[in-house]
Amino acid sequence: MLDKQKNIRNFSIIAHIDHGKSTLADRILEKTQTVDKRDMEEQLLDNMDLERERGITIKARAVKLNYTSKNGEEYEYNLIDTPGHVDFGYEVSRSLKACEGALLVVDATQGVEAQTLANAYLAIDNDLEILPVINKIDLASADVEKTRNEIEDIIGIPASECPAVSAKCGLNIEDVLEKIITDIPAPKGDVHAPLKALIFDSHYDSYLGVVVYIRVFDGTVKAGDKIRLMSTGALFDIVEVGTMEPFGLQKSDSLSAGEVGYITASIKTVGETRVGDTVTLAEGGAVEALPGFREVHPMVYAGIYPADGARYGDLRDALEKLQLNDASLVFEPETSIALGFGFRCGFLGLLHMEIIEERLEREFNLDLITTAPSVIYKVEMKNGETLMIDNPSKFPSPDEIGTSYEPMMKATVITPTEYVGGIMDLCQDRRGTFIDMKYIDTTRVELHYELPLNEIIYDFFDALKSRSKGYASLDYEMKGYVPSKLCKLDFLLNGEVVDALSFIVFEERAYARARKIAEKLKDNIPRQLFEIPVQAAIGSKVIARETVKAMRKDVLAKCYGGDITRKKKLLEKQKEGKKKMRKLGSVEVTPEAFMAVLKLDDEK
Amino acid sequence: MMKNNGVGLYVHIPFCVRKCNYCDFCSFSDFDKAERNAYLSRLKEEIESYTTEPKIRVDTIFFGGGTPSTLTPGELLSVTDSIKKTFLISSDCEFSLEMNPGTVTREFLSACREAGVNRVSIGLQSIHDNEQKILGRIHNTNDFLQTVEWVKEAGINNFNVDLMYGIPEQTTESFAATLDTVLRLSPTHISAYSLIVEEGTPFYRMRNSLALPSEDEELEMVKTLEEKLSLCDYTHYEISNYAKPGFVCRHNLKYWDYSKYIGVGLCASSFDGENRYMNTDDRKDYISLGAAATRSVETIPLSMRAYEYAMLGLRTSFGISLSDYRLRFGKNFADGKEEKLSAMEKAGYLVWTEDNLKLTEKGFYVSNEILTQIL
Repeated sequence: MLDKQKNIRNFSIIAHIDHGKSTLADRILEKTQTVDKRDMEEQLLDNMDLERERGITIKARAVKLNYTSKNGEEYEYNLIDTPGHVDFGYEVSRSLKACEGALLVVDATQGVEAQTLANAYLAIDNDLEILPVINKIDLASADVEKTRNEIEDIIGIPASECPAVSAKCGLNIEDVLEKIITDIPAPKGDVHAPLKALIFDSHYDSYLGVVVYIRVFDGTVKAGDKIRLMSTGALFDIVEVGTMEPFGLQKSDSLSAGEVGYITASIKTVGETRVGDTVTLAEGGAVEALPGFREVHPMVYAGIYPADGARYGDLRDALEKLQLNDASLVFEPETSIALGFGFRCGFLGLLHMEIIEERLEREFNLDLITTAPSVIYKVEMKNGETLMIDNPSKFPSPDEIGTSYEPMMKATVITPTEYVGGIMDLCQDRRGTFIDMKYIDTTRVELHYELPLNEIIYDFFDALKSRSKGYASLDYEMKGYVPSKLCKLDFLLNGEVVDALSFIVFEERAYARARKIAEKLKDNIPRQLFEIPVQAAIGSKVIARETVKAMRKDVLAKCYGGDITRKKKLLEKQKEGKKKMRKLGSVEVTPEAFMAVLKLDDEK
Repeated sequence: MMKNNGVGLYVHIPFCVRKCNYCDFCSFSDFDKAERNAYLSRLKEEIESYTTEPKIRVDTIFFGGGTPSTLTPGELLSVTDSIKKTFLISSDCEFSLEMNPGTVTREFLSACREAGVNRVSIGLQSIHDNEQKILGRIHNTNDFLQTVEWVKEAGINNFNVDLMYGIPEQTTESFAATLDTVLRLSPTHISAYSLIVEEGTPFYRMRNSLALPSEDEELEMVKTLEEKLSLCDYTHYEISNYAKPGFVCRHNLKYWDYSKYIGVGLCASSFDGENRYMNTDDRKDYISLGAAATRSVETIPLSMRAYEYAMLGLRTSFGISLSDYRLRFGKNFADGKEEKLSAMEKAGYLVWTEDNLKLTEKGFYVSNEILTQIL
């Protein structure tokens, strides 16, 4: 049995964007004969349309490959793909945990870049063995030697013998396949120990129920076994085990230490299987779970409404379908006076939110209106009650509030030293509390800050990237709730509060935000026959005021006498346009204008 | 409001020397001699198809286009002969003809007089060469001044000048200069249209590179227009039309007060109070098959008539008579709209009295918005 592990290699591929990660994966699939070249769809691993367009991998995927080495030995390679954004940081770390090594792809024309570094450190943190692969050597501007030196100097891993390839042309791919054998360690699990398998992903299949992707560390699991998920204690009977082949799931007898595969057990929702959890046997199972499990909770909440109120039911069905595959998406119905019926949805972060929105619009053909994202605040009332507020409309009036709290994060930023100043300014600007700064080496610094989550969710990551030319990385985890002076900012159009525009804000920031948004409202609300006062208020106190001036000219003057039909058509068209308008109190606003107001991304 | 008892007659002359860059009317610059003759005989045939006993009484005639002044004197008179043969022409008939400077001769104006034309409408648009050139017009300011001189010489003192604002490169100052030049000639009537970039025109294809004035600049021009014209005693009686006392265009008023009219020629439409007849816009069909065979008819249901009546009537400063509306359509216009109308009246967009509803000057400029809300 030990022999079997000796011939297994579990690895992922990491790279800076556009350095050729997906192309290399394609080539490896091809060379291992797992996929016929002519059958191959480009970039097989990323199989969501959205992923291909954004060039990022949203959900982890894994595939098993068979390789016969030059000396004739049979190897089993498990290639585990990882998502690539801070919102999914935890999922990335679980995917990496399932591996022993990682191929670090570096573009020979670009050298080591921001994400090369960040990904390399992430892999090192997860105790992975790194095998650098220099790519794009077919290009005229490729400088392989310089790239080797950079890898050694900047990342600090040996690169003198690493493979230099052209994934595009299929050049030297065998070198990579051979190097995987020598450079990436074989798994060293104990087949006879109690079962310990790591869940690193899952998806919902309408025939099989939830398909759980696992990496077995110790022991063996087979169909018919009764298993226990160690974080929840939930018990299931295994229906099927198998491996992920390039063209689908392949049933097998068992999975044992070192192997990567799937299990099904009539599990109804992906929510019951948590990424990072440990699978063991119900009887004679492991005592201690694999380390690092974390419950993932939504961090950001927003209201999602159909632009056309009649499609509320469709939106619900769509959210339910997405939730089948996405345990981190939560939602419950809510109503807004301005927007009608919709859902309050919870997301891991803003990118996650954007992806869900985009999938709803694309895959389910829905037009949506999304309210400003918000974190969960805590309020201790004067009457002793404690409220968790995920929706500004639930925020109590100021005189009922004893103490309000906001979620505080422990944030770690790793950055090359030259950007430290700019990043410190950014953190300060975002109400961060400096904890400490450590030099990792002469060129890199690790900054520790406490930052309110509500500051992180609005484009903090983008600001960080732009201030560090993309080199800084961000990781954060919940520290807990801290007291904070919070208030609810309301917006009034024509003297009426528009509930969908309200949000909770740190009191000192209220004035600046109020002014900015009032201005934005003014610019985006189309002029109408009457002047529209736009006001921002905390409770009954108005703190900012703007006016949408009355429309002055819309006439279609050049419409000669007899042409009644045409004039009529134009009026009808204008009337049609009105139907699409959203009524905010007595004010009509196009859905586009509404969205423009809700977008808070120009806070810089 | 002025009441006409006769019918209005519109005659469409689709010939042009060249097509202007903003123009999306039914006009062509490539009629050859034979096609032109064929068109005119079909036109006369259509006119004569209205022969009845007793004759239909016509009290306004309007030759529009295209450019009616591109007709030869002989062509013009042969068409008007047809008209006189077919209809009973009121003694006080208003007979308008559109003309473009650069196409007009003294000879033609004599023929006009002979034909009974007593009102002309001159398409000027602007006195500035650069603006004319952008619009794709063929004449210069001297042509215009010459035309006016000849018009007056022919004894036609009732004339309109068409102007345009919102022309690429136009400024409030250049527009004011155009107005001053025109006002010195004391026309009885001025039409001022805001340039609209229509689909299917050369302007539409150039729309991204046109230096159109901003909305604010256009408003400045409108303000200048209002000021200068009211100083010279013109009344703003329809969204785009201004007239000296007693000189509103009676023919156009027929469209706005929902009177009956007959239209002949390509693309012309007729209205008998209940049905709208649309002539074909296909010149080949019109010429080969004639008007009757290619005409379509639409019966306007009562509710739609009510809508059109208000939509058109509210374009004028006279507005609509609420009792007339009730009589025609059996319902009160204001029912269910009281709150909106009051708010609009309070804001100065309209005047609402016992029997009359009309837009104010301020209301004219946002009339589409008002109409979509109250119709």
